[in-house]
Amino acid sequence: MKILVCAKQTPDSTVRVKVAPDGRSVDAAQITWAVSPYDEYAVEMALERKDADASTTVAVVSLGAARAKDSLRQALAMGCDEAILVSGPGAEALEGLGVAKALAAVAQEAKPDVVLCGRQASDDDQGLVGAALAEALGWPHVATVTKFAPADGGPAGSVNGIDVWKEVEGGHEVWRAPGPVVLTVQKSEKEPRYPSLPGIMKAKKKEIPEKDVASLGIGASLPKPEIVKMEPPAARGGGKIMKDGDAKRTAQELARLLREEAKVL
Amino acid sequence: MKTWVVVERKGSELRRVSREIAAKAAQLGDATVLEVTGLERYSPLPAVAALAARAKQDQPSLVLIGATPSGRDLGASLAARLGWTYASEATDVAVDGDAALVSRMMYAGKVRATVQAKLPAVVSVRPGAFTLPGGAAEPTVEPVAADASAEKLAFQRFEPTAAASGRVPLTEASVVVSGGRGLRGPESWKMVEELADVLGAALGASRAVTDAGWRPNEEQVGQTGKTVAPDLYIALGISGAIQHLAGMTSSKVIVAVNKDPDADIFKVADYGVVADVFEFLPAFTDEVKKAKAAS
Ligand SMILES: Cc1cc2nc3c(=O)[nH]c(=O)nc-3n(C[C@H](O)[C@H](O)[C@H](O)COP(=O)(O)OP(=O)(O)OC[C@H]3O[C@@H](n4cnc5c(N)ncnc54)[C@H](O)[C@@H]3O)c2cc1C
Ligand SMILES: Nc1ncnc2c1ncn2[C@@H]1O[C@H](COP(=O)(O)O)[C@@H](O)[C@H]1O
Repeated sequence: MKILVCAKQTPDSTVRVKVAPDGRSVDAAQITWAVSPYDEYAVEMALERKDADASTTVAVVSLGAARAKDSLRQALAMGCDEAILVSGPGAEALEGLGVAKALAAVAQEAKPDVVLCGRQASDDDQGLVGAALAEALGWPHVATVTKFAPADGGPAGSVNGIDVWKEVEGGHEVWRAPGPVVLTVQKSEKEPRYPSLPGIMKAKKKEIPEKDVASLGIGASLPKPEIVKMEPPAARGGGKIMKDGDAKRTAQELARLLREEAKVL
Repeated sequence: MKTWVVVERKGSELRRVSREIAAKAAQLGDATVLEVTGLERYSPLPAVAALAARAKQDQPSLVLIGATPSGRDLGASLAARLGWTYASEATDVAVDGDAALVSRMMYAGKVRATVQAKLPAVVSVRPGAFTLPGGAAEPTVEPVAADASAEKLAFQRFEPTAAASGRVPLTEASVVVSGGRGLRGPESWKMVEELADVLGAALGASRAVTDAGWRPNEEQVGQTGKTVAPDLYIALGISGAIQHLAGMTSSKVIVAVNKDPDADIFKVADYGVVADVFEFLPAFTDEVKKAKAAS
């Protein structure tokens, strides 16, 4: 099976993101970058297939600034076979539908059985690219995926359909895709693995080919939301902290406050 | 301006978020409330085909859809199919000339943004973003029949989660009771559920808890879980890691119970209790029971 993972480089989840003085962008100065969390789950999910069947190949693609190569190298160190960077002038300005078109061009060339995206990128938080990529490719799409596996039957090594576990309220729906499919990942079965030392050494030596976004023929500019204003979230804190020690008394007091002051009981 | 609302049901009832956005759209003016019918289970291809065909006739300027798991998927797929602007998880929407002004969180809840989405646009709206006016009439819903032959996927089976609770959906609940690693193990959820039952609350959990398999993944709150903004969020034995806060700091009232006075969760709490949760929780549940019985 051939898997293509789309992984975006975004601010590390531990970073405190600050709004820049212009009030409509974020201050990039203090940001450390990482693979977006859901995309890291997608990488792990792909590698779990490779663990189960060594003939599986996993390629990872990222579109963005040259620094995204560091995140691709991280994915290689985790165990991906190859990485592709889509970059060049205009790449960073692409969003949503434009990104999906560019990634679709990469997928058309790579011809994977499965394309994995994250549920949403941890910067724009849109959750658009996976669905839009499926639309651009004309492939079906399954969202909130936690597992996939080749359907039973057919000669060894061939892909005879793919079973997909989709998280829904109260459980999972299992869907079968007869041909290539785009999945957006909610969570992998295991936590994303750490790169092994040999993995890191191997990844260092790997070539990461760069594709110029201009060569992908995305064409006319596509609509995207324009940021008018950015602000920090409403400040919280200054709450009442109770450390009386007597459980019953504190419980009475809290219930009273929630009823009379906060009016939520 | 023509506005579409695409609604969703849970069982036979319209979802609360569907009613919220229908009420909002009625205020915006010329609103049509649509429901995709003919599918036993939601799947994007047939649903999008049906809505896109209808959009070509109707030419709405703005499509509002609830930011539920299916709503997010359908909204994104529809915007892609039509080549329209898309903004997800709106916390407010206003129309300004030829654009929608959409408030939404970005950077995993660390930034509040206002974006301008040029019309026509599809916007998915967070549950609770618009309050349902008291006595709001049930909207008149028009069916849009999906053609099952547009489907490329085959449904196989449903696998229920063992611990699934059958409570109100987490993202639409007005009270959420969440537990963390401080609860020590899955057996403690008896105690947590007792409080949730009295409050009519949904259950939430930290990632430490879902990763350990104490609770199903669908209950996880945070950056890689659900985003919730209930009237009351109760965090039990949760440290308040930045990735957990990403999913719950928009809650109206936050209560935290933790034995560590320096736990980060207290920095966002309106009411904090420094206590052993095993001592405090039963006493608190009793008090809530009394309060509920008195009201
Ligand atoms: C990329 C990424 C994404 C993540 N996404 C999420 C996410 O979506 N959601 C999420 O929750 N986390 C997420 N995390 C994990 C997050 O960083 C924390 O590890 C996690 O939230 C910790 O869970 P916890 O608070 O339950 O456990 P801990 O941090 O171990 O805290 C347990 C707390 O319980 C208290 N305690 C212990 N015993 C008692 C007692 N008897 N009575 C009262 N209090 C007690 C302790 O004082 C402590 O504060 C993510 C991490 C990463 C790197
Ligand atoms: N620049 C990018 N490079 C690679 N993958 C991307 C990029 N942008 C988005 N994606 C993929 O699409 C998913 C959804 O992104 P978004 O629609 O921006 O929230 C991400 O989790 C990635 O899997």
